[in-house]
Amino acid sequence: MIAVKDLTFSYGKDKQALHGLHFTVEDGEIFGFLGPNGSGKSTTQKILTGILRGYGGTVSLFGQDVSAARGQEFFQKTGVLFEFPYLYANLSAVDNLNYFASFYPKEQRRDVGELLDMLELKPGFLKKPVSTYSKGMRQRVSMARALVSNPRLLFLDEPTSGLDPSGAVLFRKIIAQERKKGTTVFITTHNMMDADLLCDRVAFISNGNLAALDTPRRLKEKNSSHRVVIDYLYQGQRKTKTLEARSLEAGLPFAHDEIISIHSQEPTLEDMFIQYTGRGLS
Amino acid sequence: MGKGFCALFKKDCRMLLSGKFFLMATGFLVLYTAYVNLGYIRFMQMPPYTVYLYDPAGTQTEKSPLLQTVSSMEAMDAALLSDANGVGLDASGGDVRVALYKGAEHVDRHRADYALSLLQPPVTAAPEVLGTNTPEQKARREITCELLFFELSAVGFLGIAAVLFKEKGMGVIRVHAVLPLRKSLFLLSKLAVFLLSDLAFASLLTLLNVGLAGGAAVLPAVLLQTAVLSLAMSLTGLLCALLLKDFRQFTLAYLLLAIFAATPVFLSANTSIKLDWIGCHPLYHVYMGLKNAYFGTAVSPIYYAGTGGVIALLFLAVRLAFRREIGKEG
Repeated sequence: MIAVKDLTFSYGKDKQALHGLHFTVEDGEIFGFLGPNGSGKSTTQKILTGILRGYGGTVSLFGQDVSAARGQEFFQKTGVLFEFPYLYANLSAVDNLNYFASFYPKEQRRDVGELLDMLELKPGFLKKPVSTYSKGMRQRVSMARALVSNPRLLFLDEPTSGLDPSGAVLFRKIIAQERKKGTTVFITTHNMMDADLLCDRVAFISNGNLAALDTPRRLKEKNSSHRVVIDYLYQGQRKTKTLEARSLEAGLPFAHDEIISIHSQEPTLEDMFIQYTGRGLS
Repeated sequence: MGKGFCALFKKDCRMLLSGKFFLMATGFLVLYTAYVNLGYIRFMQMPPYTVYLYDPAGTQTEKSPLLQTVSSMEAMDAALLSDANGVGLDASGGDVRVALYKGAEHVDRHRADYALSLLQPPVTAAPEVLGTNTPEQKARREITCELLFFELSAVGFLGIAAVLFKEKGMGVIRVHAVLPLRKSLFLLSKLAVFLLSDLAFASLLTLLNVGLAGGAAVLPAVLLQTAVLSLAMSLTGLLCALLLKDFRQFTLAYLLLAIFAATPVFLSANTSIKLDWIGCHPLYHVYMGLKNAYFGTAVSPIYYAGTGGVIALLFLAVRLAFRREIGKEG
């Protein structure tokens, strides 16, 4: 679906933003693109969505070079959710969606009412101007805008930003449903939980370079110390032991009365983020 | 393409409706019409200065009916005290003596000459009259032209920029960057809405203030000039809104335009002030084009070629600035 080869981009003579990125995204895959602020995430996404020109290397989407595929057909197949909910504040959710949907062929559009219902927007707000909505409600309408054209390729920038936990769960459910339909999803996020729960593969970008690319599980496994921490009771006393995971193959190698908990010492995706990008999450 | 344009056009109309732009334009139309019909034309028909004559012996036999006779010098002093622009003529001592409150020297001379002329018999040889307009028609055309020029250059410029600043603030311009539509349509729909609104405004203003018959006769030429000025000013407004950071910066640009661009044009075209460089001022030519349209005078094809070129260049500059804007960070 997406093939990026030796992608470079510069905002000026001394402002090289991308230094030769190389990756592919398969059809129907959820691909996470993670990196700290200023690492080149947005620049990459802008090139992929056809907004930025003047890049080096090759970028192809739907098997076609992006620089040659900027016509209306290209934009008909993609949906973009921006980090901020960009909507007409004077129009209602329904009017906003009807307006944005009107640029797509009729047979491609999804039903606006059904979409807003799926995104659990309160019915009382459907016809009220967006200016009266909370940030979370606006984010829901923005998601509906990105989905209204039934895109084959969906770009999501910080999709769960501004949502309460139940909203975040709903969004993750919707993204998973999209993948089931065969939609390819390219997620740019700082939210490691989203990336861990949703993405088939994640790429870490740092200073315009790709620092790592793999499935979240493999990334964590590769960097795991392969140890477990066991809390147990023995002769009325609570004790803790750290062991090599392999040493458990023959059973627990110590005397105990009761096991309280066993924790693997596998790193989190956030640990990996810090390790590969050299920076923490902001 | 047609569908996309219609959607954009409809949305821009809604933006203007919710921003009360059409209401404001209607308000301006009512205000200008009231000013022309209830104020300006009446003012232009009034004699320039009231002249008071004290002539106890009745020596002035050819006096004009515009003169107001006073019964004593005290009465004249009282009249001049309450009407400082008035002129007093004292014919009590044989020779006529002029009395007035001092102002600018050239104006005082004019006031004195005018007052003394009212003691002369009316001019028998009628001067050659140029054109077919009566003084009232001339005044109506002049003031309508000035008001329309002001409306298009200042108010229209502000209106289109306000809409774009609003869209910039809401971030929706970025969404249009990823929609399947030709990006130029986003600009063209705005230009179309403002152009149609300006043409409707110009038609109503002309018909209401120049008169139905006279207005209808000059309307095609006026609408052509309106289109030229509307497009040029709308594109300038769009360019400013795209290049400038916020509305505060834009307000300064607006002041610069209003004071330094429009004022010399008005002064040069409507007063005896001569500015050697005014020929280099692009708005002066547009203003004169509009004025010529109101008076039925032909406009040179070079003017149309020039304005067409400027509009095309402005459009290219706006398109470039728009592309830069949609690629910006959120």
